[in-house]
Amino acid sequence: MHNSTQSKDHSSTRLMLSLGILSAAIIAFQLALMQILSIVQWHHFAYMVISVAMLGFGAAGTVLAFFRQRLLQGIGWWLPVLMISCGISMSLVVYLSQLSFIRFDSYMLFANYTHIGRLLLTYLLFFIPFLLGALAIGLVFDHYVAIIGKVYFANLLGSAAGGLLLLALLWYLYPNRLPAIISWLPVIAGAMIIPQLHKRTGALRLFALLACVMCALTIVFPPTLHLSQFKDLSKTLLLPEAAIKMERTSPYGPIQAVSSPVLRYAPGMSLAAEQPVTASTAVFLNGDWLGAVAGYNQADTTFVLHNTSFDLPYKMADRKDVLVLQAGTGLEVAHALSRQATRIVAIEPNAVLTTALQQTLSADNDSLFYHPAISVHTTDPRIFLLTDTAYYDLIHLPMAGSFGGSAGLYALHQQYLLTKDAFMHMWPRLQEDGAISISAWMDYPVRHPLKLAATLAEVLEALNIRQPRQHITAIRSWSTISFVITKRPLTTAVVQNIRRFCNQWQFDPVLLPGLQPGERARYHFLQDSSFFQHIDALFSNDRNALYANYDFNIKPATDERPYFSQFIRWKNLSHLAAYFGNRSIPFFEIGYLLVVITLVQIAVVSFVLVLLPLFRRGWKGKHKTGVLLYFGGIGLGYMFVEMVFIQHFTFYFGHPVYAAAAVITVLLFFSGCGSYMAGRFAGNKKAMVIITAIIIVLLCIYATVLMPLLQQTKHSALPVKTGVVLLLTAPLAFCMGIPFPAALSWLARMEATDIPWAWGLNGCVSVISTALATIIAVEAGAALVLWLAALAYCLPLVVWSRWL
Amino acid sequence: MLSTICYIGLFLLLAPWQEDVYKAKREKMVSQQIQRRGVKDPVVLKAMRTVKRHEFVPADQTKNAYDDRPLPIGYGQTISQPYIVAYMTEVIKPQSHFKVLEIGTGSGYQAAILSAIVKEVYTIEIVPELGKSATEKLKTNYRNVQVKISDGYHGWKENGPYDAIVVTAAAEHIPPPLISQLKEGGKMVIPVGSTFLTQMLILVEKKNGSTTTKNLLPVTFVPLTRKKSE
Repeated sequence: MHNSTQSKDHSSTRLMLSLGILSAAIIAFQLALMQILSIVQWHHFAYMVISVAMLGFGAAGTVLAFFRQRLLQGIGWWLPVLMISCGISMSLVVYLSQLSFIRFDSYMLFANYTHIGRLLLTYLLFFIPFLLGALAIGLVFDHYVAIIGKVYFANLLGSAAGGLLLLALLWYLYPNRLPAIISWLPVIAGAMIIPQLHKRTGALRLFALLACVMCALTIVFPPTLHLSQFKDLSKTLLLPEAAIKMERTSPYGPIQAVSSPVLRYAPGMSLAAEQPVTASTAVFLNGDWLGAVAGYNQADTTFVLHNTSFDLPYKMADRKDVLVLQAGTGLEVAHALSRQATRIVAIEPNAVLTTALQQTLSADNDSLFYHPAISVHTTDPRIFLLTDTAYYDLIHLPMAGSFGGSAGLYALHQQYLLTKDAFMHMWPRLQEDGAISISAWMDYPVRHPLKLAATLAEVLEALNIRQPRQHITAIRSWSTISFVITKRPLTTAVVQNIRRFCNQWQFDPVLLPGLQPGERARYHFLQDSSFFQHIDALFSNDRNALYANYDFNIKPATDERPYFSQFIRWKNLSHLAAYFGNRSIPFFEIGYLLVVITLVQIAVVSFVLVLLPLFRRGWKGKHKTGVLLYFGGIGLGYMFVEMVFIQHFTFYFGHPVYAAAAVITVLLFFSGCGSYMAGRFAGNKKAMVIITAIIIVLLCIYATVLMPLLQQTKHSALPVKTGVVLLLTAPLAFCMGIPFPAALSWLARMEATDIPWAWGLNGCVSVISTALATIIAVEAGAALVLWLAALAYCLPLVVWSRWL
Repeated sequence: MLSTICYIGLFLLLAPWQEDVYKAKREKMVSQQIQRRGVKDPVVLKAMRTVKRHEFVPADQTKNAYDDRPLPIGYGQTISQPYIVAYMTEVIKPQSHFKVLEIGTGSGYQAAILSAIVKEVYTIEIVPELGKSATEKLKTNYRNVQVKISDGYHGWKENGPYDAIVVTAAAEHIPPPLISQLKEGGKMVIPVGSTFLTQMLILVEKKNGSTTTKNLLPVTFVPLTRKKSE
């Protein structure tokens, strides 16, 4: 008897371990796919991957509803089969998705409709491992519902470990190698639970062996990732003698440096410049342009930025102490050095990039980062601003937008350096004669320059500057616009310097004290004067009217809504379509539209794959409305919280990958702990009402104070910040881990046939809520998402109070 | 063997009919997409009616050749929307004696249009595969076009200076050698925009030793604010 109990405990522990490993694999695989799609396409497909993963869980619930009895009867056989199959599919799907007839291209979705079919096929492929893995997890949940808290704990703990595992792997492995490594985990998990005395034990062992061979093969022969032909790296590699001279991997994504004798960079260079630009090396992150690397001490050539509008701050006054925020490839650092700055502080959060610039690429930048005048800090620029005590003559920011427009690819980028709050933090770091400079590409219809001007106008206003136009200047080349705001009013001498500079290089001043209307377009004529009228409106009382009526969103970004490059206003789409044609609209804001399309597609697919089959089967449970509201509510609420936390902690830690890993790990770990305790509350209605109420109260508090609290403590040391994050996340996550297993346990006792419905509904709502949370955050701010999460948790509260 | 003969017979039988279909599509393209948007130059309209656009697009895009949109041609490049080609040609005010340099041959369609209007066209393509394909397409019917596979940054000094330069693949700076190879009073046109969407054309003019630019908007967009205040 004692031996039997021991053996039972042993097998239960092994099963929990196996479940944990499988859960780790699923999360790690999900993050790996997000990284792979960021490289071959763009980062927006992260939402697709999250949604597909959730869809797998939802569909698993449907399959369970249909074949529950059969699967439960043969659980000893099915569990290892499903887990091992999950591993095999993980090793294969990336291979298959890269086949020429399956591979899709985001841009081609709107130009060649066969790519919509390819996209759906890719959805389907990526869906398979999640479905198989989720089926195994669902089976365990269902079969071991008596110890659901323990099971859910193993599931969440494993998931948390999966997030950490992937983060570690990203430092050492190229993303194409990740699926093969991760695919071992489900195979191991499946092999661990092959029953000893089963009639098919031999077959299962053989299956596991074959899976091992397959996984080993994919490690040896990893899939080749084919980048979209429209990615910057793909186009650059077509140039004559183009060669990748450096390649590194990092949690930010792979970094490549490409050299070619025809690769030249001189943004918006003056047409009066006669000297050809010399070749440079270009650096790409995830296949997207990051910047050029150029030498600074070639005696025979002028520094590449001297003939551009970027030189404006150096022509206004001497700049000895310069702070370059988000230094990237160091071009602006070299610029400062070429203008005799004596102390240059370069801030770049990407450590792998700075190391590459100091080592492999040092010959390309004349060993820039070893120059005694330069100090490099590998940290987030916003964190640096809060901790730094020095003062600068010039703070330089990276260029906003991209040449020719980015087609809205960056609409969902959280750009915390371009928010109003960021400029407010820069201001105290300026010397009395100090200035902040930033440039943007001139786009059409005008968006980036206007949003930048609006931001600077509001910042000057917030600083109580009485005559803001005396503190700002802007000049325009044929394709760029450079702004400088100054702490002191612009003096006559400075204004003369600016005019002289403009005359020399044929630039046109846009904002300058004493400017005559005729001066604004002497060299670079615009079709009409509306751009100047809008710029003037931004510095007048008409600003809000312009915000309200302009076709694009040009209101400044804030820390709460840090989407500087998000311009689309849905209500004006028809007006844009009337001018540019329906087919052109996607290319204004392709990034944002992709998320909306993902939301619509995935909502339809999840309805068809999850809910429709369940409806067809019929729902015989007594508590339909209760189950619907309860599991729908917690699915929506949980994902909303997760998405907001990822956004806020990206701001807090200054690193999106670390933030995602931290949120997923901490949230899942403490939710796991909560679920472990769920058994104690399962039969206690009063306790459940209290727990749900605590969640709602905490969410309401967070919606009000979370961002201000993070802003206040952002400068703290990492251990303090980690403590803050734990303190903020742990109690909430602990409570949020309880409702799901507690209700499942209750259902198992009262209405077991409702379990697949609960599982499916939860998955289905989670699918939709990932993309939905992002859209709401962009449109109305992250705080509203938290308020809605609180509202979503009111649903289980109502259910506990009325139905259960 | 028999089936091959049948296919060839069928092709020969249908080819003239197919050509008529394309001709009708070109007529429609010119009247609905180009004239209606304001392109008036008769020589440009004639060239747009004459040059067979479907011969310059990849086989899988033939059916879309006369659509009002750019089409992918591989290597991350597109063949511009018909209207943009016509508009870019019109803004350089082409004359029959002109010598024109094109930077970025791409599909070869823009060079073919110019070839139907001006005396000499020199075109440079940096992607060898595109350059070779365009050379093949242009060599029979467009004999006044010379294609070079090279870096367009330095222009084609031997044949310069040029009355006009058409840069179809925009760079973030205008190469000084191109400005120096432009005749006094000459025009250079550069499209600026994201892939599949030309939002603006930059017209560079060289006059009296000074180089000026003008933004030309293929689609003049009037923001709602102005509409309201009017």
